[in-house]
Amino acid sequence: MKKTLSRSIISLILAAAFLLGLGFLCVKYIIDSDMWASQSYNPYMVSGQGLSNAGDVLDRNGVVLATSKDGERLYNENENTRKALLHTVGDGSYNIATAVETAYRDRISGHSKIFGYGLPQSLKGKNNLTLTLDSDVCTEVYEAFDGRKGACFVYNYKTGEILCMVSTPTYDPSNIPETLEDGSYLNNCISSTYTPGSIYKIITAAAGLEYIENYEDMTFTCEGEKQIGNYEVTCLEEHGTLDLKNAFAYSCNIAFGDTALKAGRENMQKVSDKAGITKSFRIGEVFTAQGHFDLKNADDISTAWSGIGQYTDTVCPAQMAILCGAIAQGGETRLPHYVKGENSGKSGRLFSENTANKLDELMRYTISDYYGDSMFEGLTVCAKTGTAEVGEGKLPNGWMVGYSKDEDAPLAFAVVVEEGDYGFYSAGPIARIAMLGSAEALRNN
Amino acid sequence: MVQGVSDVAIVGLRILLSFYGIFIVYQCYASMRRHKRAEKPLVMLYNRRFDIKIPVLFWENSIGRARGCDITIEDPSVSRNHCVLLRRKAGWFVSDTGSKSGTKVNGKEISGRTQVFINDVITIAGTSLVMLRGEDYDEDIRPSWFFSKTSRKASVPSPVLLILVNLFHLFMTTEICITTNSLNLNALTIFAMITVFSWVLYLFSAGVFGRKNFELEALALWLTGLGSLLLVQQDMGDAFVQVVSAIAGAILYMAILMFIKNPDRVIKWRWAIMIAAVGFLAVNLIFGTIEYGAANRIYIGGISVQPSEIVKIAYIFVGAASLDYLQTRRNFLEFIIFSALCVGALALMGDFGTALIFFVTFIVISITRSGDYKTVILALAGAAFAVLLVLNFKPYIAERFSIWGHALDDPFDLGYQQAGTLTSIASGGLFGTGAGSGNLRYYGASETDLVFGIVSEELGFIIALTIAVAIMGLVFYARAITTRSRSTFYSISACCAATLLLVQMSLNIFGCTDILPLTGVTLPFVSAGGSSMLSCWGLLAFIKAADERTYKANP
Repeated sequence: MKKTLSRSIISLILAAAFLLGLGFLCVKYIIDSDMWASQSYNPYMVSGQGLSNAGDVLDRNGVVLATSKDGERLYNENENTRKALLHTVGDGSYNIATAVETAYRDRISGHSKIFGYGLPQSLKGKNNLTLTLDSDVCTEVYEAFDGRKGACFVYNYKTGEILCMVSTPTYDPSNIPETLEDGSYLNNCISSTYTPGSIYKIITAAAGLEYIENYEDMTFTCEGEKQIGNYEVTCLEEHGTLDLKNAFAYSCNIAFGDTALKAGRENMQKVSDKAGITKSFRIGEVFTAQGHFDLKNADDISTAWSGIGQYTDTVCPAQMAILCGAIAQGGETRLPHYVKGENSGKSGRLFSENTANKLDELMRYTISDYYGDSMFEGLTVCAKTGTAEVGEGKLPNGWMVGYSKDEDAPLAFAVVVEEGDYGFYSAGPIARIAMLGSAEALRNN
Repeated sequence: MVQGVSDVAIVGLRILLSFYGIFIVYQCYASMRRHKRAEKPLVMLYNRRFDIKIPVLFWENSIGRARGCDITIEDPSVSRNHCVLLRRKAGWFVSDTGSKSGTKVNGKEISGRTQVFINDVITIAGTSLVMLRGEDYDEDIRPSWFFSKTSRKASVPSPVLLILVNLFHLFMTTEICITTNSLNLNALTIFAMITVFSWVLYLFSAGVFGRKNFELEALALWLTGLGSLLLVQQDMGDAFVQVVSAIAGAILYMAILMFIKNPDRVIKWRWAIMIAAVGFLAVNLIFGTIEYGAANRIYIGGISVQPSEIVKIAYIFVGAASLDYLQTRRNFLEFIIFSALCVGALALMGDFGTALIFFVTFIVISITRSGDYKTVILALAGAAFAVLLVLNFKPYIAERFSIWGHALDDPFDLGYQQAGTLTSIASGGLFGTGAGSGNLRYYGASETDLVFGIVSEELGFIIALTIAVAIMGLVFYARAITTRSRSTFYSISACCAATLLLVQMSLNIFGCTDILPLTGVTLPFVSAGGSSMLSCWGLLAFIKAADERTYKANP
């Protein structure tokens, strides 16, 4: 009998293993149950007890953007506001990845680790979510797009708060059309990439500053075109002889094609990677799309065009805004978020301090001496425009990216208008509305 | 306001039910622990020459030179495992188990079991021992930790324990009525059936067989009723079958208890049982119909039967034996062959979950009865090889493995059941969304494979864990009573039956929660399925039989 007892310890070992597994399950429950509960197929989320009873979504001023009443999900009464904030708020389904109704569904759906979804409505607390966005600015920006496609992204680079995030095409979540335009679910600010065109000259200039001797004192000669091998780089105008500042302000292709070639493929790649073009940045619970910069198979002409933001270059608008925010702060920035109280962390160093300061001078000169400060009344803005050729018989995409240096309105922005043609004329006015509106929102607080 | 009050009441009932479940399980085990055992040895052996008093504590005692023997005799002429002193209904017997120098009773060389009486002299090689009454032993015997809190009074009288269980089921029925917003006649019917069943079982147990203790049955009844009531809103027909199967299971339970009352009788039936079990599996292999990827069912007169469930009982029968039998027949080749046939047949049917249960049980039985690790290592190596073969020839099994650990990556196809279970567990929270209200029950085969998720969703994670701990407790109980059993046949079969249930439960719970690959076995007593219910009650009989009070003591 004693032997049977001592041998039967095998049963206890199995029981101990079982207890271990049970403990593991409990730990998994504590850590992951919110994630398990917030799966899109969960009937509690989709039907009566899910979003239709979820908490309110409010903008930074307390404007109600989405609420639940009598088992129904209701959105802001203004149609343009609904459309402007669709990609931030959601449409009651889980089709829009960046919408808080998707990305933050566990928080607004009222799931609790203790009661699951088991609490009756009368006993549930409200699970409201306040955004950092200003819905008025977003609505104005949406209206300024005037039916064109694109993205507008503005954030406070000191706190990380996003004030304006508008993506088009969009639709009305209260009145979802049967057929949607392609890309309607995409938040172009975060999830799309575009050919950058001349805004990429910021990075090309950075490569020049870091890897070409006496780059600041160089002069460039532009005759409207330049032969490289059997091909040529063309410029919009015959700029004549230019110093770096003016080459940047006039956005001379010859000068920056030259810079890319002089800096060299490897260095261009290095600077692009460090600046975060090929990285994905965290924005709250979501991540930006990765841009593309790859000179592995590039010949000289391709390298030259890559320095002008063509070739196979692509960038994501939010990435560009983050990059501008980093330049504003000597090379590093806080990453953006759109739900109040979040913290997305820091970008890491994207530029050396020296390079950031020199880029700051170039971008400042572009506004102060070329476009004029009247464009952003009351703000000291540094920026770069771009007009990116996309081929296929389409008009170029218009870009404007930059930031304000004002202590009370530290804002970085990126605006892109698909087929907008000249960046200054298409993205410029939208950037102006977004920046002035966001600055006002900050200053009024 | 009225809405608010009733909502608070509903949530209050759920919270109460969770802690009430813990209370019931606690009471069952607390009662088991209370039972007192005699402080005196059964008999005593007295070595006159050296004036050594040896207490005989167990019903079956190995005597020999080896340290592991129940009674160790330090005499070089004694064999390592010399003989066995055992108690049966007729009295005490001694049986020589192949010793070199033989065993004598009152000077006469014995062969086979020979009865010994008080004051008889047992001569083991060069050592003579006189058998005396246990009362003459004057030192205290320390009980094992499990029985450290013994008392003359049961912590809860059995009828009270049963009422506690009935009340739990009543609360569950009330919850179903609240959930369905009606006087749910189906739920009330099942509740009534379970309640009547439980009292009839109790009256039989206490009245006809005179058994005072009823904790094991109460625990099984609690689980059975809980599972049946959960089925009401899923499929009333299944719920009805569930209760009827439990009644059949209880009858089987009684029958097994009667059959194994004499552990020596079982030995004689070993071959018959083995042949019947293998035959049953063979019939399954030939006539089985494929359902859910495994051909593990046959239809007898329109009733679906899973032979493998019934064979589990046979397996325990064949695996266990009394001590003198084990000591004379060290080699258990026939058991290995029988095991290989069972596991092989199950693998051929595609029922890999049950095959795994049998295999682990085989390991446990082998170790418990022989301590032969070489055979075990050999078996493990063979099994590893078999698994590789299976993965090679049955690609859909490999597919199941491929999703293991990250079911949420593919919640609509390969990870469908596990992801649904996890989501349901999280949706139910600690206290559930109310009996009869869940969503997981709409999943295919959820009433068997995913029942842990259903319990968790509707009654809460706490009750789900309580069930797990309650069934696991059987292992601790079975082990605690090992040395108090009337034969190693009972100790081995109780430990192995409890471990079988534990392994089965592990595969069920960890399979549906994506901690192990999903194998599709049932949660003992709770999952829907007649054969499974029958086999669980049958296995419970072995645990019950190991308790020395189950059979009335002989004078």
